[in-house]
Amino acid sequence: MKNIEIAPISRIEGHGKITVQLDDSGNVSDAHFHVMEIRGFEKFLEGAAVEEAPRITPRICGVCQTAHHLAAAKATDQVFGLEPPETAKKLRELLLLGQYVHSHALHFYILAGPDLVMGPESDPALRNVVGIYKSNPEIATMAIKTRKIGQEITATVGGKPISPVTAIPGGQSRGLSSDQQADLLAKAKNAIGLVEKGFEVAKPLFTKYAEEIELLGPVESHFAALTKNNGDITYYDGDVKVIDSTGNMVHEFEPENYLDYIEEKVQPWSYMKFPYLKQIGFPDGSYRVGPMARLNVINNIPTEKASEMFAEYKENFGLAQNPLLYHYARLIELMYASERAVQLLEDDSITGTDIRQPLTEQLMTKEEAKESSETRRGVGIIEATRGTLIHDYETDGAGFIKRANLIVSTGQNNLAIDQGVRETAKKMIHGEEVSEGLKNQLEMIVRAYDVCLSCATHAIDGSTSMELDIYDSNGELIKRQLL
Amino acid sequence: MVNIAIETLASCDGCEISILDLHEDITKLFDNADIVSAPVIMDIKEIPENIDIGIVTGSVRNKENKERLETIRKNSKILIAYGTCACYGGITGMADLYTPEDVMSRSYTDNPSTEPAELPNQVVPELLSIVHPAADFTKIDGFIPGCPPKEQLTHDILIPLINDEAPNVPKKTVCADCQNQMEHVEFDKIKRRIEGEPEPGKCFLSQGYVCLGSVTLGRCGGLCTSAGVPCHGCGGPSLDVLREPSHDIYNGVIKRIAHLSKMPEKDVEKQMYDIGHLIYGFVIGSTTMEEKQVSLIPQLVKK
Repeated sequence: MKNIEIAPISRIEGHGKITVQLDDSGNVSDAHFHVMEIRGFEKFLEGAAVEEAPRITPRICGVCQTAHHLAAAKATDQVFGLEPPETAKKLRELLLLGQYVHSHALHFYILAGPDLVMGPESDPALRNVVGIYKSNPEIATMAIKTRKIGQEITATVGGKPISPVTAIPGGQSRGLSSDQQADLLAKAKNAIGLVEKGFEVAKPLFTKYAEEIELLGPVESHFAALTKNNGDITYYDGDVKVIDSTGNMVHEFEPENYLDYIEEKVQPWSYMKFPYLKQIGFPDGSYRVGPMARLNVINNIPTEKASEMFAEYKENFGLAQNPLLYHYARLIELMYASERAVQLLEDDSITGTDIRQPLTEQLMTKEEAKESSETRRGVGIIEATRGTLIHDYETDGAGFIKRANLIVSTGQNNLAIDQGVRETAKKMIHGEEVSEGLKNQLEMIVRAYDVCLSCATHAIDGSTSMELDIYDSNGELIKRQLL
Repeated sequence: MVNIAIETLASCDGCEISILDLHEDITKLFDNADIVSAPVIMDIKEIPENIDIGIVTGSVRNKENKERLETIRKNSKILIAYGTCACYGGITGMADLYTPEDVMSRSYTDNPSTEPAELPNQVVPELLSIVHPAADFTKIDGFIPGCPPKEQLTHDILIPLINDEAPNVPKKTVCADCQNQMEHVEFDKIKRRIEGEPEPGKCFLSQGYVCLGSVTLGRCGGLCTSAGVPCHGCGGPSLDVLREPSHDIYNGVIKRIAHLSKMPEKDVEKQMYDIGHLIYGFVIGSTTMEEKQVSLIPQLVKK
């Protein structure tokens, strides 16, 4: 028996590995996708004042920090019983759209694009953004310009391009001036043109790689996404809708009831858990989230160009199951995000100054909270670029976190990724000689989901100490020495 | 051409995104340097030899992080710790506020949406018992804190470095860049961020909110305070705090609030809440900050 390892999986966010086990005749007996890291946010948020969660949790992921910022902020609104004013909700949605433009452009052009632009089996030294810059500078420039607009929206609305800070319980800490509105409107309009050009380059690739689309990682699963107004695409708010692999609705539920519908399983070979639909069970309740899942769940995109792209996509692929179509769906969403940003920025109410409902009730002190059995809770669900993101906080009466539960986008695709890698490895690998190009095609399955492995894991293990700690006679640590 | 390698340890990848946030200027990097390895953006799996400038991001959380840190150190002429995690352990260090057993059980056995199960222990790398910054294990030639470092700073450091010139970096605190007006206002209550409505343009400390601007290295331009949010200390300690054995983030903030409000320091301390997340949030893993005689980190870290 021989093992093939692909590590680290590259051009993804975080640390992952693929292992493939061969039997004596050289056929694949098993294969897995492993997540190799874990940091522990769920635990170490405990004890923090819950209003700090929106500025601690963006550090879960440096790519989709805005998504964590906003899911946490929505949860804190609920903890304190606050309703953000309309302008604040629009600002938050705009902030999230900035995230979409940055993240989808990053993923398509810089992380996954090189496989399609340079070829899945091309020279690995050149199969990256630098290679694209040197061979196709116009594509690289388009990538840089598109993503920059996303970061500019985030920086203006969120205060910073990475790990924004303006979403606070009850609303936003800073509004948008008319000058900023005009500046961002021009940029968002520019983004539409850039995405159109990008799509012209990208669309033929889905014909060129039709065989790979069929071959790499196909699985059948349920799909989940937020929707509103009977099937519109939505990122910031809405209810969770779940469909089965043929498109029939299975569940529709409000965010705070997620525990009735979603459960997570632990496997000994990965730090990332495996969420599944609780009422269907494991593993049949496997479901996917993210761009392709969203376009399967929703019926309508209410902007002009993206809805045209959506209609053509539906015509060609129906209820899409093949992970490489996540890329296509991502481009449609990149267009929607740009168009929707223009819609929001053309509406002058975005510069409104009523942006926060302040807390008027007197909070308990920490001491009072210790004596009291009162608890508070807030659940924030949004559509992150990679899919449905759940932040759930339970606090004491004073609003200090007692328990945090985070179900992140990538986790919900874990079962499908693992299964897709295994089935594809079985089809493609025969014998110990496995080319770099073939290994890269297995990585392409993982990449298609735009996985975010830093997000996916929130605990730490300290079972094996590598350090010698020296304490003084008062029990205070005075030195940590590495063994 | 200068060879550059970027290695990501336990982190969020925000540091790598901050390098991409050079936007058009990143082409200066592509034109004047060879990026020989960077798993986030390219497929070279092994860390190559003969690296001129190694850049390491993230903290050291597990055995694999430690091994790869040691390899990039061995293979690099200059090794830079980039970002607050690599410099001070960063926000990941908050895990040290709890015992590893508690932390593990919260995710895998005592979790409202999880079927309790055996802890993952196959294939995945063993974790170290606490979070470490890179310098706990290897010599580091340069530190660039920031969560993440601002793109302008990255530009002003990386571009000269690849041209073999000495970068000129700002050394002031966040307060020095902040446009809000600090004033003496007598008050006797420290406010949580959820309480009241901060007045725009006015110093957060002067309004009774905990703001770390005066003890934090300011290379961000005071972005958070100008966005209506107090400084969280993500840039790491100011040079004063780092250089002076008796200066610490905690006592610096206490003294500053006492000075502005005329509250006795003891009263400020009594009202200060959640020191772990609020004061030391980005540096709990830092040996430098922990070894200060006045540091409260040793009392916060649980084993």
